[in-house]
Amino acid sequence: MERSDGKTSIKSRLKNLGREIWRHRAIYALLIPGLVWYFVFCYIPMGGLSLAFKQYKANLGIWASPWVGFANYKHVFRDTAFWASIRRTLIINAGRLLFCFPFPVLLSLMINELRVGKYKKVMQTVFTFPHFLSWVIVASIITNVLSYDGLVNSILNLLGVGTVNFLGNQRFFQPLLYISEIWKASGWSAIVYMAAISGIDVEQYEAAEIDGATRLQRIIHITLPSIMPTIVVMFILATGNIMTAGFDQVFNLSNAAVKAVSETLDMYIYRVTFQSVTDFSFSMAVSLFKSVINMVLLFLADRGAKLMGGSGLFG
Amino acid sequence: MRRRALTNRFELLDVFLLVVLTLWMLIIAIPFINVIVVSFTTQKEYLETPLLLFPKSPTLDSYRALIKDGRIWGGYRTTLTIVGLGVPLNLFLTTSMAYALSRRYFPGKKILFTLILFTMLFNGGIIPLYLVVKKLNLTNKIWSVVFSYGINTFYMIIMMNYFKTLPESLMESARLDGAGEWTILFRIVLPLSAPIIATITLFYSVDRWNEWFYAMIFIRDKGMAPLQLVLRSIVMDAAVLDAASSTVDVGETAFTNGIKMAAVLATMLPIMCVFPFLQKHFAKGVMIGAIKA
Repeated sequence: MERSDGKTSIKSRLKNLGREIWRHRAIYALLIPGLVWYFVFCYIPMGGLSLAFKQYKANLGIWASPWVGFANYKHVFRDTAFWASIRRTLIINAGRLLFCFPFPVLLSLMINELRVGKYKKVMQTVFTFPHFLSWVIVASIITNVLSYDGLVNSILNLLGVGTVNFLGNQRFFQPLLYISEIWKASGWSAIVYMAAISGIDVEQYEAAEIDGATRLQRIIHITLPSIMPTIVVMFILATGNIMTAGFDQVFNLSNAAVKAVSETLDMYIYRVTFQSVTDFSFSMAVSLFKSVINMVLLFLADRGAKLMGGSGLFG
Repeated sequence: MRRRALTNRFELLDVFLLVVLTLWMLIIAIPFINVIVVSFTTQKEYLETPLLLFPKSPTLDSYRALIKDGRIWGGYRTTLTIVGLGVPLNLFLTTSMAYALSRRYFPGKKILFTLILFTMLFNGGIIPLYLVVKKLNLTNKIWSVVFSYGINTFYMIIMMNYFKTLPESLMESARLDGAGEWTILFRIVLPLSAPIIATITLFYSVDRWNEWFYAMIFIRDKGMAPLQLVLRSIVMDAAVLDAASSTVDVGETAFTNGIKMAAVLATMLPIMCVFPFLQKHFAKGVMIGAIKA
């Protein structure tokens, strides 16, 4: 482009842009309701996080409260319960990756090999159902089965083991989280892998059959490698959530007896916000800390998943 | 199906899989059956039977007590209101947004899309949202829960991807005939998108039915608690009652565990009744998302 045309070309480009916007005005009309919602319920609250660097004064509101720099963080970082909650969150989520993550993969492989059609459908309905119940319901169901006079203890008593306090024992709390998550979610999570399995080329199996491969060999050498990319992507995405995950579950399954081991970062934020004398600036500082770390982790997870050839977080 | 063409022998592996998966199905199903059984059992039988598998003398006492307690009706009313107002709002916001973003080009598309995706990575959390809701004068109103959950960005993207697969030529010819974007959305795109809309409607309905957290934070009025919170309070209250009843006379108090389980069943019954018939559509949502991925 020639220099001398610079001014006019900017002008004409603006004009063009204006014309383009006008031409697509109907699309903007479609966007407005959704954008208003995103603005009010996502972006304004994000702005509210500025309270982390302010001293909240109820009479002044979020925007007019005075700035105090990192003073709130000094208090946060001095709170040992804060660090303990982070440690606990990381440990619990590492446990989830170790114990809960493999389960749906295994389940999808087994369901795929099952050869009884109708029964299979019934099974899958049962497997996926708990996913659609809230943790309020699931926690109530689990409490019923594991209580002192519940079903599990009845069986243990008949076997002569004696009554076990499953719900109030601190040592059982983490296993309880893992088992209940497997119980509730693995059937649903398996569907992603089943979709991946259904995309495998049948000819591979036929060739293996001709070569005399047993079914187990086919599972290990064809099915599993074929869905490995999906497994890796799901794993990376799961690690992106290592700072959050499971407030609903922990909140509903915890009780006074396991208070000491159930305070994850989310539970800590909930406690300092709603249960003690409310200091919005303090809890906002913790929230922001969590949100930023979480964002970095999710961003890395998304990049990682893309590197592995997956679609990442955003479909 | 395809494996049956390869081998017809019923091997040891099949027996093994059948046993393991049946066991797993029982592990999932038995707690549900136990909920139902306990809710129909008398306290006497519950305490006296070492292994309760089926009530010998079924009773509706727990349900009578639940109805007499009355909170469950308020819960139903609130939850049905939330579903009735919330799901149409969800669908309106999500479809219009997804359709607009599925259009191939318009100025500013990229930046808007990035801003929307950013909300999946970063959010302010519950406290600033609470302050916004308070500022809008929505606290203690159903609308606080209805409006706080407007668009689920995951669902929106699934829908957008589906819209993208529709043939462009259809919309182009409608445009040449002078149809506006809203007309195209309602007359052409939506009728072609019945499966995805059914799926997303189901997802939103379940989310709304299970709503409790926003309600717990935004609505302090106990009489307006949705079903899930009513269940929570019944389970908690019953725990208190339980502690009291063990020190007082067992026979005189209502059978707390039975009432709890009756409440659990009342809360999940709608999902339980509908789910077996719609399971296919739920799975479809994930499949569409996964295939696109």
